[in-house]
Amino acid sequence: MTLASNQTMGRPLRRVARRRRLTFDRASFMAVFLLLPLSVFVVFVLVPYLQSFYYALTNWRGFSDQMDFVGLSNFATIFTDEVFLISLRNSAFLGAVLPTFILAFAFAIAFLVTSGGPATGQVRGLAGGGIYRVVSFFPYAVPAIVIGLIWVQVFDPSRGLLNGVLTAAGLGQFESFPWLGNATTAMPASMFTIAWGLVGFYTVLFVAAIKSVPAETYEAARIDGAGRFRTALSITLPQVLGNVRTAYIYLGLAVIDSFGYMMVLNPQGGPNYATLTLTQELYQTAFTKGQFGLATAMGIVLAAVTLFYAGIVFVVFRLVGGREEAGRA
Amino acid sequence: MKLSASSSRGKLARGAMAVALAAALAATTACSAGTTPSSTPEPGGPTQSEASNPFGVAEGSAVDAVVFDGGYGTDYVDFAGTLVSGNLKGVKVTVSPSTAIAQELQPRFVAGDPPDLFANDGAGNIPTATIIDQLATLDDLWGTTNYDGVKISDAVFPSVKVDGTIDGKFIQMPYVMTLVSLWYSASLFEEHGWTPPKTWDEMLELGAKAKAEGLYLFTYGKEAATYWEWLMWDSAAKEGGLSVIEDIVNLKPDAWSNPALVGVYKKMEEAIKAGYFVPGGAGTQFTQAQAQWSNDQKALLYYSGSWIENEMKDATKEGFEMTAWPAPTLTTTSVLPFEAVQAGAGVPYQIPAQAANVAGGKELLRAMLSKEAAINFSKAKLAPTIVKDTVPADGFGSTALASTMSTMEAAGPDIFNWILAGKAGSYYGIDQSVPLIQFLSGESTAEEYLATMQEAFDKVANDSSVTKVTFTLS
Repeated sequence: MTLASNQTMGRPLRRVARRRRLTFDRASFMAVFLLLPLSVFVVFVLVPYLQSFYYALTNWRGFSDQMDFVGLSNFATIFTDEVFLISLRNSAFLGAVLPTFILAFAFAIAFLVTSGGPATGQVRGLAGGGIYRVVSFFPYAVPAIVIGLIWVQVFDPSRGLLNGVLTAAGLGQFESFPWLGNATTAMPASMFTIAWGLVGFYTVLFVAAIKSVPAETYEAARIDGAGRFRTALSITLPQVLGNVRTAYIYLGLAVIDSFGYMMVLNPQGGPNYATLTLTQELYQTAFTKGQFGLATAMGIVLAAVTLFYAGIVFVVFRLVGGREEAGRA
Repeated sequence: MKLSASSSRGKLARGAMAVALAAALAATTACSAGTTPSSTPEPGGPTQSEASNPFGVAEGSAVDAVVFDGGYGTDYVDFAGTLVSGNLKGVKVTVSPSTAIAQELQPRFVAGDPPDLFANDGAGNIPTATIIDQLATLDDLWGTTNYDGVKISDAVFPSVKVDGTIDGKFIQMPYVMTLVSLWYSASLFEEHGWTPPKTWDEMLELGAKAKAEGLYLFTYGKEAATYWEWLMWDSAAKEGGLSVIEDIVNLKPDAWSNPALVGVYKKMEEAIKAGYFVPGGAGTQFTQAQAQWSNDQKALLYYSGSWIENEMKDATKEGFEMTAWPAPTLTTTSVLPFEAVQAGAGVPYQIPAQAANVAGGKELLRAMLSKEAAINFSKAKLAPTIVKDTVPADGFGSTALASTMSTMEAAGPDIFNWILAGKAGSYYGIDQSVPLIQFLSGESTAEEYLATMQEAFDKVANDSSVTKVTFTLS
């Protein structure tokens, strides 16, 4: 150690010390805006995550604090369990299909009530469009459980509204048809119910987004001879793409979960497990079978599925969005 | 009927009694203080406190009870709670209703802060297997007297201790005496000149007669399809003896191919194939299905526990005359007679050993096992408790309650119980309902169903991580 090297090391140190001098302002700012949120995040998000990773590697039965470490055997068990794989498939199917349907429908309504009106004059929505906006939002104000209960009654084989209407219309084959109890129709019927409950929120979201699109673009498109359909796809959609992506993420997470709806529609998972979701299987494993270790492993898989879904959505939108920008340039 | 004063009147009487007692007590202490000022009077005295407070509940302590809020509600425990407060001054009983026992109590068990008493009941109950090591035994309660001064072992049906014992440990006190049987409308049967069937062959004949009039034999809902498995197991148990069920619940290989069991499932398959079930059960809520029987009278028979009357109170046709009937036998040469029934105590009350006030939990149970609390329950819920001699012959005017009592009496010693004591597949959380619904809806055959079940039970039998217990049913 020479004197020179000491000096060269000392100089930057001093400079760092000068830059980080803690005034009360600075310290309180850091405490409130950095340390506090960080510690909340660590305590309520990070630690539980790590904890559940650990539980997933144990045979915890849930009602005591005793457990043995069993390594990855929980994962081996669930991935060879037929019912779990069915539930995984069902949840993945919901996540892959349902958001597209709901968002397409929500976008269609939003477009019609904001810019689907008369082809002359100012660009505006259909006459009385505000009513549709309110009506479509209404189901969102009703809790999932209640929506489920309503539709269970509608789908009831012998007293339900649906079969009543269908048989009255002369379709005798629907007498006592169990919509929620038939392996082919249970999933579509459940998906319809979920869509019915969620479409309103996304309609309102898209209405707000579409309103921020400058009217001149519509007028220009109209002068160029674009019809309503063309306008919707080529003008409106690209400009609200950011909202669509956000909606995809939110909605995807909601439908991969779907717990509330499915527990009311078919608590045991439907005919031949046709509507059993991963969340339901997790719940059953934990609370009726008392295998919390196994259930936590399922939770880890659920988290992985969710992250994977979000990743795909981001990648797809990066590709789509990128192409749009390239086209505009 | 003299005992069955309405609860408000009962409360009033109790209040008056308490006042009188307090006055008398004050008088005696004043007296004794006056005559023998030197001796300090022992408050209560050892024998008296032994009788009124056998578990030594701490003065002013709180008792925390969590009760499943199902068909019976929770007010009957509140009632018993007031009895406790009347008996032990300053002891406060809090009853919290819950519809999801496992979900609500799980964190409390892990934290070492479970309630002092809880009714481990309902669809969301805690699988007893997972907490059996954490429950207090109730042998001391069995030996004490209830509030009427009767020894508890004498005050209740003797089978209660068998029902409450799992793996040799007496860890639960099931409170409600329940009969599981077929239920029918006596007036409807009389109107058509039908008699309820004693064998499965008669059952199928009745099905054909009903069909001819556009009616159905049975109905089921998706949440409660299991009831029909109860019927089939009960018939099989009568045919081949209780060992048929014991083999299944003790996870014996080939238990599901017992000829008695297979025979009954084959008969049921015939009924399904002949269309004797109201169609669409797989998509019907169970209460709706039950209303098809009790209100629409589209189906003639339903298999359920004696809670059915209370459950369907608002959806039962006027003049229905709900009546119990034992499960039919497969042949006329069955091991157990036709009169044998599944009956036993349900709604199991358990006390966690690490609860803050174990003594308080036991004291509350002791109050519930007194005649006053039991009569209060039976009268309001139209269901018998495990406390004997609390239901009059007319069943408080209910045909269902009266026939429940007479059916249990007719069975004599041939009462068995595997459902209510939780000694079934549900003990290990084996899912039977989805495959069963497939069978009942005609999508799978009896053979396929039995094979699926054997596989599911074998899986648990071979799972070394599951602690097994041995069930005995007699």
